[in-house]
Amino acid sequence: MPVIELKNLKKTYGALTVIEDLNLTMADGEFVVLVGPSGCGKSTTLRMIAGLETNTDGQILVDGKDVSALEPKERDIAMVFQDYALYPHMNVAKNMSFALRLARYKKAEINKRVTEVAAMLDLTDYLDRMPGELSGGQRQRVAMGRALVRDASIFLFDEPLSNLDAKLRGQMRAELALLSQRIEKNIIYVTHDQIEAMTLGDRIVVMKAGEIMQQGTPEELYRTPANKFVAGFIGSPTMNFLDGTLATQAGRMVVQGESYAIPLPETYSQHLAGSDGQPVTLGVRPSSFEETDSDTALPMKIILSEYIGSQSVVICEFGGQRVSIEVNSAAPVKIGETRTFAVKEAEIHLFDPDTGASLLPASKL
Amino acid sequence: MSKKAYDKQHPAFYALVVAMVLMAVGPIVLMLSTSLKLTVDIMSDTSGLFFLPTLHNYEAVLCKVLWYEPQSVDYCDPTFGRSLGNSLIIAITSTVLTLIIGCMAAYALVRFRFMGRDTVSLVTLMTRMVPPAVLLVPIFGIWTFQFKIDGTLVGIILIYVAMNLPFVIWILQSFIVQVPIQLEESARIDGAGPFQVFFLIVLPIIKPGLAAASIFTFRIAWNEFLLANALSNRNTRTVPVTIVNSLSEYNLDWGVIMATGMLLAIPPIIFTFVASRQIITGMTAGAVKG
Repeated sequence: MPVIELKNLKKTYGALTVIEDLNLTMADGEFVVLVGPSGCGKSTTLRMIAGLETNTDGQILVDGKDVSALEPKERDIAMVFQDYALYPHMNVAKNMSFALRLARYKKAEINKRVTEVAAMLDLTDYLDRMPGELSGGQRQRVAMGRALVRDASIFLFDEPLSNLDAKLRGQMRAELALLSQRIEKNIIYVTHDQIEAMTLGDRIVVMKAGEIMQQGTPEELYRTPANKFVAGFIGSPTMNFLDGTLATQAGRMVVQGESYAIPLPETYSQHLAGSDGQPVTLGVRPSSFEETDSDTALPMKIILSEYIGSQSVVICEFGGQRVSIEVNSAAPVKIGETRTFAVKEAEIHLFDPDTGASLLPASKL
Repeated sequence: MSKKAYDKQHPAFYALVVAMVLMAVGPIVLMLSTSLKLTVDIMSDTSGLFFLPTLHNYEAVLCKVLWYEPQSVDYCDPTFGRSLGNSLIIAITSTVLTLIIGCMAAYALVRFRFMGRDTVSLVTLMTRMVPPAVLLVPIFGIWTFQFKIDGTLVGIILIYVAMNLPFVIWILQSFIVQVPIQLEESARIDGAGPFQVFFLIVLPIIKPGLAAASIFTFRIAWNEFLLANALSNRNTRTVPVTIVNSLSEYNLDWGVIMATGMLLAIPPIIFTFVASRQIITGMTAGAVKG
């Protein structure tokens, strides 16, 4: 299985530049997820790797060989499309064997592979059905089966689960994760859903407006986002952002807001020493609050409670801003009540309000 | 069994319906009954719907192709049988050619970006706006003096293909536009070349469009009179031309003419019936998420 490398990749449509200068290396057998909001260029990147779009400039290297001038069929890839793209005039078995029949495999070999993959995907009973007679989840599985029978070295998934309803999406996500462990292929997966990205990817590449914002393991992205965009994109419920300025109070660095001062941990203080008065954006995840009545705790007025299960997300008003906080559902939440919460110091993120870049010490990044 | 309730209509309404049905069916009934009569019965004043039906007229028309020698026919006139054959060859060949060229042209116009694409698309339709009578004189001249293909089947087939192509391209374009582009991309990734994408994916999906277009072209080629009359000779005449030519001042064999007329009506009916079974809506059901 190859190493895929994108070097200075560029894509323009007329005057519109979609991807400026993309560099990315995907290791052998890695499950890479490209994630980002609509229009960030993730699908375009995938389609360039597939050969469905030509790259305006730059190189796509597979095992050191530039494939950007090759036709899709010469690239040894299989792809699953967002809206399935099943051949409507062929039954499931024919759909799955289409590529093999084109490649003139022996009939016995085709049958063997289709039966195997159909069993793997629970499609054995549906091999004679036409795509129009299948449910959304089954069609999605057929689309995956069509890619799997090929035994290609690279698998591309273009938002394969986005057309399914929430429950089915959860199931398929788990199946996909199991599948990827079993087949051990290079997988590049595009999605706009950060939960899919987090649960599936060995490595996540967060993109915005044609640029890579950050790449790393799910945990790296969650614990140490490199900028405000990644911090806000990864994690659910989303991170709270509060504006303030750095100040020193009683020998400790704090973030000073209109009605609050949130102390920073020692390690940050050293790193940021001497930057008093610098405006910053404080990032705190909803799960980084703890209820306490210590003197640093902040009074929050609860205006809304979203019950999820064992946890609830309460939306509080605090110093003219809204903050969402994750609390244990065991304790009853009353709307209008004021409670005191403190921020877990170690889980504070700081960003430059202008550039959005993280201000945390390099050791944390 | 549920009975459908209809509103009672005014008697004049039924009278009108009956009159319209008679007008529509009347000539056909007359043609059918005449084709089944002997000349004696046709000419006699007394006969109406009461006569002994006979297939003699049909035997006379088809005497060349029948497997037995009909006793009723003294001399086998090959004109009608030959013209039926000509009509079949011309209609089928021109339909097949039109569809092959038409679907490729339509695909190119829909999917490929090339200079003058919109102009080509428009011009194809514009040629359709010229009435055949206008084309008749120049075509006759060119076919006769330049190409020397007047009086040949090829000449007639060629002009029918040219005449029907614009509409076929136009109708197929609207079908090809509806084929999701993802299917073609998916096929390309599955290893299909451009021709395989076209023949294995696009064509089967636009089958309803091909059927509609083929009914259209077949019927035009089958019924056309003006150009066929000018471009054919004695051996290459189509049925409509033959029928008109056999209407002479003397010795009208109505029975044979009507039998030819009935036979003329059968192929389009069969063809339309077969082709229309291909027109099923929802061919792309399940292809992509709608």
